[in-house]
Amino acid sequence: MFLTKLAFKNLVRHRSRTLITASIIAFAVFFYLLMDSLILGMTNMSYDSIINYDSGHLQIANKVYWEEVEDLPLRNLIIPDSSMIYSIEHINGYKAYSTEINFTAMMNNGMNELPVMGKGINPEKYFEVFNYEDQIIEGSMFKEGEYKAVIGKTLADLMNVGINDYIILLVKDRNETFNTIDVEISGIVNTSNPNINRNVVLLPIDVVQQSLNIDNRVSKIIITLDNRGNAKKAGIQLRETMDKSTGNEVYVWNELDAISIAGAKNAGNQMIMSIILLIAAIAIINTVILAALERMEEIGMMKALGLEVKEIVYTFVLESAGIGLLGGLIGLIMGVFGVWLLTAFGIDWGAMVSMDMASFGIPVIGKMYGAWNIAAFIKVFLFGLIISIVSSILPAHWAADKDPIKAIYHR
Amino acid sequence: MSLLKLENVEKIYNQGKIEVPALRGINLAVEKGEFTTVFGPSGSGKTTLLNMIGCLDKPTNGVIKFDNQALGEASKKDLAMIRRNNVGFIFQSHNLIPVLTAYENVEFAIRLTKKYSKKDMHNRVMKILDDVGLKGLEGRRPNELSGGQKQRVAIARALVKEPKLVLADEPSANLDSKTSREVLEVMMKMNEKLGTTFIFSTHDPMVMNYARRLLEIRDGQITEDNRKESENVSD
Repeated sequence: MFLTKLAFKNLVRHRSRTLITASIIAFAVFFYLLMDSLILGMTNMSYDSIINYDSGHLQIANKVYWEEVEDLPLRNLIIPDSSMIYSIEHINGYKAYSTEINFTAMMNNGMNELPVMGKGINPEKYFEVFNYEDQIIEGSMFKEGEYKAVIGKTLADLMNVGINDYIILLVKDRNETFNTIDVEISGIVNTSNPNINRNVVLLPIDVVQQSLNIDNRVSKIIITLDNRGNAKKAGIQLRETMDKSTGNEVYVWNELDAISIAGAKNAGNQMIMSIILLIAAIAIINTVILAALERMEEIGMMKALGLEVKEIVYTFVLESAGIGLLGGLIGLIMGVFGVWLLTAFGIDWGAMVSMDMASFGIPVIGKMYGAWNIAAFIKVFLFGLIISIVSSILPAHWAADKDPIKAIYHR
Repeated sequence: MSLLKLENVEKIYNQGKIEVPALRGINLAVEKGEFTTVFGPSGSGKTTLLNMIGCLDKPTNGVIKFDNQALGEASKKDLAMIRRNNVGFIFQSHNLIPVLTAYENVEFAIRLTKKYSKKDMHNRVMKILDDVGLKGLEGRRPNELSGGQKQRVAIARALVKEPKLVLADEPSANLDSKTSREVLEVMMKMNEKLGTTFIFSTHDPMVMNYARRLLEIRDGQITEDNRKESENVSD
């Protein structure tokens, strides 16, 4: 108890140093919380972006097709039947479904050519599943049977085409025969998903089925639910009702490649944040060494009084824990305020750095909002405290283990 | 039986590849209750001798027995326990803990012994502070005390646990002659009252006047060992 009192008094005595070191820890905690909030917010937004414009919550596709999905093959497609649709419409949290045909094509504007991803869709159903309706910035969505297309804004800019312009899509049909689809651009879409804006050409599903010679087959069925959190359970439910003999399978949104990539990026960011906390550890080590050097005679006297090494280490470690506690608490308070600002007002990162965030591989456009993560608050506070304690042990031991004579006479 | 016994004690410091002998074959016996001064020129080995006796250092060769316990075989922890319970130190620079008050500095030493109850500790601290003339100054921190007052706190701290031995390294070095005299008289009073053994190192003739036994040390060897017949009188 007396040593605890001594440690506390030392903290108060070296007020400036305590506050400086505590503020370094506070800033480390603060930045960690801000970054964590931003990353979580960004991850949520990119998940929403993928779900709302690309994947939906669940997809039904043939297993063999799924293995080759990156090549967008026209084999192993599925034929939606009434029992399948019935199962889909009766899963918990069901909102809407839409069929889709994905295919590769070369888009030609008469002068230039670009590889694109064609999507054959049923416009009415598609609007129920995806948030495209509000994102059409020019023109309008086509109707079934019309030889019209909606393309992304970036693609339109790249190919220098606009509403009512004609484009040709060079495709290979199911029999590997070349075919062309001549369509008029009816609308231009600008979503928060840069991949959609840059690569996608939307076409009526019946036009695509006819051009690709695939009858009424589709690449996949996309389903949206009322809540992202229900997807796993709904996926299991749908799987149970599916006819296994068809070779079809249900895929949940978080099993998609794009999501795993986002997860890997998150791990990288955790590493950056660990570096921030390492800075806090260095600050503590520096403080303990400085304190030990300054109090060398005092340490010598403590040893002369009969204090053991572990007792002297205890006082230093306790001081560091005090600094960690103070810094952690200040950091948490700052963090609460900072995260609140991020969640309430967001940050227009792209405008700040004058760059499209898509160039950093972040599939989000516009403002980025933070997200609350209470676990991160607890984790960083405890981590800061533990770092403060652990990083002080070695320098404290170095100080406490000094030859008492050298310490007393400060040699 | 002697409180302290040194047999052929040698201490050699290594400065790089050079061996520097600080003590060369010291033989000494100190009885309980002695008031002894070790004097000699700077670098003669006074402080080294006190450090050996005070269990702060171990000899290179020879045997030191404290209360019949050989220190050479004691572990670091054992030495710390001997210092904690049986040895009091007074240094020329006081070495008080700046964040603690005079009371707390003294209390720190007695708390470590874990021999006394809270009430007993309080009474002993208050009494020793009174004995050294610091009544009313218990709540002051070292930076609020004069040099003499600080040294009195250091004396109180050394004596509060009633150690068998008090070692004082140049206790008057930073004090004026009047304060030195006052401090030495306090120590003499404690020696007489409690029977505590005192060993000083000094080259101050005034301090030597107070001693009942004078040990002269030169080049790491005791060259003179004189005992005074009667009680000492200052000046």
